[in-house]
Amino acid sequence: MAEVTVFASTPAKAVLAHAHQTRSPMRWFTLALLIALLAFTLFPFFIALLNAFKPGPDYVRGGPLSIPTYLQFDSIAKFWKDADYARKLFNSTLISVSVSVLAVGISLFNAYALGIGRVRGSAVILGILLLGTMVPQESIIYPIYWMAKTLGLYDTQLSVIIVTAVLHSAFGTYLLSSVMSTFPREILEAAEIDGASRWQTLTKVVIPIMSPTLMVLGTFFFIWTWNEFLIPVVMLVSNNNQTVAVAMGLTRGQNMSDPTLQAAAGLLGIAPTIIFFLIFQRTLTRGVIAGAVK
Amino acid sequence: MKIALSKVALVAAASLMLGTTAYAQDKTFNIWWYEGADSAQGITWTKALEELKANHPDVTVNFEQKTFDQLQQSGSMILNSAEAPDVLEYNKGNATAGLVSSQGLLTNLDDAYTAQGWDKILNEGQLVLSRYDDLGVYGSGHIWGISTYGEYVSAFYNIDAFEKAGVKVPTTLEELTAAFETFKAQGVTPLALGGASTSGQHLLASLAYTKADDTWVQNYQGLKAPLDGAPYLFAAQTLTDWLAKGYITKDSTGMNDDDASLQFTSGQSPMYVSGTWNLGNFSANIKDFKWGQFVIPTPKFSVGSTGNLWVIPKGSKNPELAKEFISLLLSTKYQTEQANNGGVSFAADPAGVTNPVGANASAVFAQIAAKQGLGFYPDWPVPGYYDVLNQKDTGLLQGTLTPEQFVDEIKQVYDDAQASQ
Amino acid sequence: MAGESVGSHRRGYYLYLIPGFVGLVVIVIGPQIANFVLSFTAWKGVGTPRWVGGQNYQRLLTDDQFWGSMHNTLLYMISMTAIPVLIGIVLASLLFDYVRDQFGEKVSSFFRAAFYLPQILPLTVAGVLWGWILNPVGVANAILKTVGLGWLAQNWIGDATYALSAVSLVIVWVQVGYCLVVFMAGMSRIDPALYEAAQLDGAGWWQRLVSITIPMLAPEIFVVVLTTLIAALKVFAPVFVLTQGGPDDATLAPSYLTYYHFFTTQRVGYAAAVSTVQMILTLGLAVIFLMFQQRQAAKGA
Repeated sequence: MAEVTVFASTPAKAVLAHAHQTRSPMRWFTLALLIALLAFTLFPFFIALLNAFKPGPDYVRGGPLSIPTYLQFDSIAKFWKDADYARKLFNSTLISVSVSVLAVGISLFNAYALGIGRVRGSAVILGILLLGTMVPQESIIYPIYWMAKTLGLYDTQLSVIIVTAVLHSAFGTYLLSSVMSTFPREILEAAEIDGASRWQTLTKVVIPIMSPTLMVLGTFFFIWTWNEFLIPVVMLVSNNNQTVAVAMGLTRGQNMSDPTLQAAAGLLGIAPTIIFFLIFQRTLTRGVIAGAVK
Repeated sequence: MKIALSKVALVAAASLMLGTTAYAQDKTFNIWWYEGADSAQGITWTKALEELKANHPDVTVNFEQKTFDQLQQSGSMILNSAEAPDVLEYNKGNATAGLVSSQGLLTNLDDAYTAQGWDKILNEGQLVLSRYDDLGVYGSGHIWGISTYGEYVSAFYNIDAFEKAGVKVPTTLEELTAAFETFKAQGVTPLALGGASTSGQHLLASLAYTKADDTWVQNYQGLKAPLDGAPYLFAAQTLTDWLAKGYITKDSTGMNDDDASLQFTSGQSPMYVSGTWNLGNFSANIKDFKWGQFVIPTPKFSVGSTGNLWVIPKGSKNPELAKEFISLLLSTKYQTEQANNGGVSFAADPAGVTNPVGANASAVFAQIAAKQGLGFYPDWPVPGYYDVLNQKDTGLLQGTLTPEQFVDEIKQVYDDAQASQ
Repeated sequence: MAGESVGSHRRGYYLYLIPGFVGLVVIVIGPQIANFVLSFTAWKGVGTPRWVGGQNYQRLLTDDQFWGSMHNTLLYMISMTAIPVLIGIVLASLLFDYVRDQFGEKVSSFFRAAFYLPQILPLTVAGVLWGWILNPVGVANAILKTVGLGWLAQNWIGDATYALSAVSLVIVWVQVGYCLVVFMAGMSRIDPALYEAAQLDGAGWWQRLVSITIPMLAPEIFVVVLTTLIAALKVFAPVFVLTQGGPDDATLAPSYLTYYHFFTTQRVGYAAAVSTVQMILTLGLAVIFLMFQQRQAAKGA
């Protein structure tokens, strides 16, 4: 099978090369369309960038689209200082990474039993596990606050990590078990014949093959947790424990907000996730290639 | 999974450590507020806190800058826990300070009021929002919090544009309308309005107050009777009239206060009705023209009140230090300092105030307070009324509600709350 | 496949469900039951709840805001699910199956990353930025006027005619990236030989999309459709930051209504009732959908 593919790939390339020449207008049309869509997608980011370094009087005079007369870095510096941003970055990273790992772990276990183990009643179990994605966060916040207070976990990051990880793992369970239900049975059977235990099958066979999907899942969890607002704002009282998303609220007052400060805060707020995403982007590509080779 | 567990353990250990250090030192004074660091209050309070530190070198002062959102969403949960600080700024009103005081989560300040000499600085009118009864309704009962500044809604105007157009500062509603007409005739939309947020409902209330007497305001704010819609009907009719004549634009339904104030600060609209919380922004950022403020002409009442409260949680470990801090904020020194930072002070030394913005605002506030003319905010009587007024206000401005329908709809919510209290 | 051995073999898998179930019971089911109980009380968030029986549910039946928000939810399902899934699948296939071949891996990855960016932006910030763009004196109208299309300028978020569409546009903007990334990850599972064989047969991009990509992506499509439908039932942040449900409740969503009663009016009991109804609807929808998915999967196998 593999050999056939290798041979086939050469003529396929030739066909493609041919297609390039004949469909050239189509090719550029597609690219133009994608670029237009890209411009639309990135436009708000451009607006954030334009205003984060704009002097207050410029904004007041010309609004969000005006070109700054000079660049000021006060807004960024001010937000960094006011928000104790370094600390918040550390907290957000710690919480998001912990949630990512924990939630991927829980999802993987659940999905292993449901998608590959196909335990009896897996549809019902999946439905119950999915409750975690269905519950509106507001409706569980009072009971969770009360529980955390009783257990002495109120105002600890651990409480946010556990709650968020459990809520996110519902989605992860569903995604992974759907994907795992299409897992090639031959590979599993081969592992069983080799005498692999369930645990070994999971760690040696399933996880390597699933790694691209696991990484996508981990990224989702990281980013969702990073932007999570309601749970951290309620559960984390002291500033030393708080996250970036909560600190964003510093730019909004009771009646008034400072637009250039908001743009600066927005820029600082997304910078870490963009960096994370760019790093991850490479790993993902590698993962995809590795997965395809197998 | 191993990684996950060790991470969790790490976090647990870290949070435990933080917990123990917080409790280990008895002489730690925890204080929170959420006014912005460069607002008049923020600057003044920071300086006062420095003085408190200097006076008590043995105490570690631990200040945390909070956000409005946090206290709004989880204030009552925090106050109902061991994590509450020794003193904090908290929202005035029935749904916030009133609620927690009625649940016994705050320290009663009746004795401190006289013992600390606050009674010599504040008058009963400035205490209305400090007092809450057993049900948590403001206006009577014990003193649960102290405000150290004021705020009110007025019209900001572009002095240069007024001079250029030959318009004088209006002192009656007729003169105000005439001023609008002059600008309109010159092709300018005279009034910027954030129909979807605070400034929309504050304009509406300011207009309602032109037809309101003492009884109406007391009934309205105290939820004492079903809503007498007449003043609101007048306000709604006036607003639709202004809309028809082009004094305000229909587009205002899509604007919030930031957008609307930009219309004013960029010089496109010569007037904007909003609160004293804009003073800092306007002082710092309007560079192209001179600006001033005038009070919307009403017989007695203006939209405005004393500011947020300093409250001492029940579990405060340093109530004496907390009271000392409040005393500092009420002292002539820091009241004057606050006015110099552009804030509205109760007891500034007029000779010491050099900032014209703060001096003027404090003087106007004193005038309104002297005639007992603080009408408070229109959204206070009913929890959640802020959103109702915004929603119905935009309905009125976009023309899907007639003034009569507008009054019917806000009356329905009001009467519902009034009947079920 | 001897029934006996398979049965005992499968039982061992139940152990793997323990962490997930413990978490679920403590964090979701328990609090949800508490919330259900609260829905029969009047409570302000502190103090002792007062039992009021079915009063909250009675009130809900005649609450125009509640019914209005339910109606809007149907429309949010289109902008949260239908449109992003369609755009996502076409984009994913374009990037994976066309752009990657034509312009290389790097270009394709770059586009994927860029389209995903809106997912990263905190919605509070996105709300401010879109507010600048969509308000009547904002960037969108300024651009329309500059290019001579001034007559197209509208009061996007302040006019009930357009507000729901405007909020939907922002939702689509956020959601497309999510669909795209899940679909592209799914495509990496598909055997490249299938595409190559199809190409040899002279199948164009569109034919490959319809005959290979969509059928092979079925698991991911199910996941994305169900999760976004659930998200549509609880849509909150875009409404909160852009319109606060306005003008005159035109964009109100059930979650915004519960949030408003939970934290603003302090009618926690009533909010609990609204969220219980919301929860039951979501659960019903999910169960129907999962049954459908199982039947499809059974058919496929």
